Amino acid sequence: MASLAKTRTDKRAARRAGEMGARTEYLAFMLAGENYAVRIAHVAEILKPPPITEVPRSSPTVLGVISVRGRLVTVVDLRRRFRLPDAPVKANIDAKIDRKARILLADVGTGEQIGLLVDEVQQVWRLAAEEIEPANALGGEQPAHIAGIGRPAGEDGTVLILLDLHPILESP
Amino acid sequence: MAEGGGGRGDGGDKARDEFFSEAKELVDGLGRDLLGLDDALKRGRTDVELVNDVFRGVHTLKGLSALFGVTRMAGLSHELEDVLDDLRLGRLEVTPGLLDLLFRAVSLYSRVLTAEKGDGEAPSSEIEQLLVALGQTSQRPTGGGGGAVAQYDLDPALFGVLTEYEEHRLRSNIQQGLSLFRIKVRFALATIDSALDELKASARPHGEIITYLPTGSGADVDTIELEILMAGRGTVEVLRGAITGPNVSIEEVRRRPGGSSVPPALVRGVASLPPQTSIAPSAAPPSMAPRPPGAVTPPARETGNVRVPDAASSRDGSSVAPVHQPRQTGSKAVVPEMSLRSVSQTVRVDIRKLDLLMTIVGELAIVKTAITKLSDRARSRAADPRELATELQRLNRTFERHLAQMQGGILEVRMVPLGQVFDKLARVVRQISRELGKEVNLVVTGAETEIDKLIVEELSDPLMHMIRNAIDHAIEVRAERLRVGKPPIGTIALNAFQKGNHVVIEVEDDGAGMDPKNIAAVAIRRGIVTADEAAELSPREVFALAFMPGFTTREIATDMSGRGVGLDVVKTNISKLGGVVDIASELGIGTKITITLPITLAIINVLLVEIAGRLFAMPLASVDEAILLDGSQIRTVDSREVMTVRGASLPICRLDRLFGLPPNRRPREYVVIAQVATRRLGFVVDELVGQRDIVIKALGPSLKGVRGFAGATELGDQRVALVLDVAALIEEVLSPGEARFLAWQPAVGRA
Repeated sequence: MASLAKTRTDKRAARRAGEMGARTEYLAFMLAGENYAVRIAHVAEILKPPPITEVPRSSPTVLGVISVRGRLVTVVDLRRRFRLPDAPVKANIDAKIDRKARILLADVGTGEQIGLLVDEVQQVWRLAAEEIEPANALGGEQPAHIAGIGRPAGEDGTVLILLDLHPILESP
Repeated sequence: MAEGGGGRGDGGDKARDEFFSEAKELVDGLGRDLLGLDDALKRGRTDVELVNDVFRGVHTLKGLSALFGVTRMAGLSHELEDVLDDLRLGRLEVTPGLLDLLFRAVSLYSRVLTAEKGDGEAPSSEIEQLLVALGQTSQRPTGGGGGAVAQYDLDPALFGVLTEYEEHRLRSNIQQGLSLFRIKVRFALATIDSALDELKASARPHGEIITYLPTGSGADVDTIELEILMAGRGTVEVLRGAITGPNVSIEEVRRRPGGSSVPPALVRGVASLPPQTSIAPSAAPPSMAPRPPGAVTPPARETGNVRVPDAASSRDGSSVAPVHQPRQTGSKAVVPEMSLRSVSQTVRVDIRKLDLLMTIVGELAIVKTAITKLSDRARSRAADPRELATELQRLNRTFERHLAQMQGGILEVRMVPLGQVFDKLARVVRQISRELGKEVNLVVTGAETEIDKLIVEELSDPLMHMIRNAIDHAIEVRAERLRVGKPPIGTIALNAFQKGNHVVIEVEDDGAGMDPKNIAAVAIRRGIVTADEAAELSPREVFALAFMPGFTTREIATDMSGRGVGLDVVKTNISKLGGVVDIASELGIGTKITITLPITLAIINVLLVEIAGRLFAMPLASVDEAILLDGSQIRTVDSREVMTVRGASLPICRLDRLFGLPPNRRPREYVVIAQVATRRLGFVVDELVGQRDIVIKALGPSLKGVRGFAGATELGDQRVALVLDVAALIEEVLSPGEARFLAWQPAVGRA
């Protein structure tokens, strides 16, 4: 551990060892008009939303449950989770789900897989370490689920909000 | 950072999973063997076979844990192995104190395993303490005996080939004054296995076989001559009568002339009698009976004068205190010596059951072929639609029949005997009763009752809490029991039996019983109910208060119970399994807690209902009937709706309101009358959709805070329907105390 720490620069210290060096693949998606991205290694599957069964008395961020090949998966509305505007009416799930909407089956390797409803899946970005700004570049205190900002080189103006799925999966 | 924690959480590590299940099996086995040892010890014997079993188990665990880098476990096993080796070789003797240490090791093993899985802290400091305690026990010689052996006319070369263990057995048998016999037998090579077993069986009542070696003087290539060295109490004539056969010769090994009889000093301290010997304990030298107290006792623990509470001897029908033995019928009584060992440890499947399933799969394949043919025919225009329909119907019936068989077969495979969990409880009883200095007999009946594997797994914690409570709170100390005229030793009965589609488990004690007044007073003091509410409760409802979170009657919490976390955990866990807990108690006589559980959770028959446009499933096992809601029959009593059904009143619950769903505006509504144990409640639903067999799936951990649902099921068209947890809902709606806890539930507020 100690020897590893020595080789790190201050800028890189905010990131995990696994992301160093080689490029990391991120899956970008839209949510309320913003570009977000998550490590593709944390996405087990992208699903077209099947009918979602609402679970009465669950937390407002939980849209309901779906069955993925016989397994029950809890689906979380990321908009609600991030307190984004235009939160759809929970009681009318089916009507509000756009045909572009997808469910990302998120799996960080510990615990259960959770479905995350997003507006639209875009593309995969391969980001080098230099293309990622740490979360504190945004200034101020950032929520735990914001891992950093991705600025793909040569794509002027493209800004990706990079998400750390661990806190989201721990308390959906 | 945690030592040996490497590899944790590396998804899909199958080998590691297997390690856990194997290690768990071994640890469970150790616990059983230790109970057996404990039991034998109480009858003044040391069961050599069991010591060996424990040694082997620990040895296997050591290798296994080292292989998987669980160094804590390997270290503990290593130290234990040393102690057990000393036990095995007679350098140490089995004492209650030493058994305490071994039982502690078993519980530490379980905790290390749990910690390795990532749930909870590894008990490092406790392991250290145990290692120190174990270190203090080892190497306490119990006297040689080599001199005694030397008196016998044995081939010196023999000692070269005896293992240390065999040598120890030889020595200890001689010290007990047994005679040695040399048996020469010629076996045919083809049948040596069975013939040797037969010989061992006929020799067993007369003594212990120490070793057998080939003599090397086989007359021809098809036979082999073995020389068997055996220790026994009888004469050579008796042995000759017992072991007969054309190729057998038996002689007594003579003492060398001039050899005196075994000096009594050498006999002292040897407490090992082989279990096979037919000698009654009383026939053993008197010095054997009382164990020297404190020989291997950890400091500051009193063992000498406390009669060791007798957990395991409950298997022995005769040793059960004659208090109450409910349902202990002749056929159901647990077989002595067997019950602790004759349990399967994982879902072991009889190959015939699998063959049966395979046959059914074959039948289903035939149906599938027929359907393929039929669909081909349907595609060709010439086919007669009516004929096709008839054919399809026939196929469908066949298919249904095979599917039902398949379901039944798979359910059967999932069933395991409750004895699995009862075994663990016997250990708990021993430990707790020793710690609290109370004397308790555990009487188990119906350990063979089968229940779904999943349920068995979930049962151990609730049952353990109940047993702890019973010993800690209910069973009185000896002096008090004698004062009130009860047998000095308390009894806890653990009864299991099947009742229709349910399994009933009763935990019954003959302790002090519960005082409804006292419970009500405590519940009021703890703020669970108000004095007014308490005044209106029936005694049964008062007892139910003991299951509320935060309830405890003890002012000072003891180490294991009395923190008020016991009984509510029991209830929560049981209702998660779709079961109910009932409590009955009589002051001064005892308490009986009854758990009613479904036999399986795998496939259940449900009634599909519609509420506010959503489908829900209600397990038919708890549904009595469904009737049309007649608004004129509804009265509101104390802000609760009550309906009159056939002259009796029935509380009703509007599920749309309870779940915070948009209210229904249909002209027709239905009431589904559900019953769990003795409580009835009518659930108002919009529509009855129909019956179905479903496979129930658990909701993910992310939804574990959501109450009222047992799980969900896929309906076939990708849609998922939630399965109502009827028992929990009834409890929630009908229990006055709990309803107050629900006030903060957001969904209720939304209604």
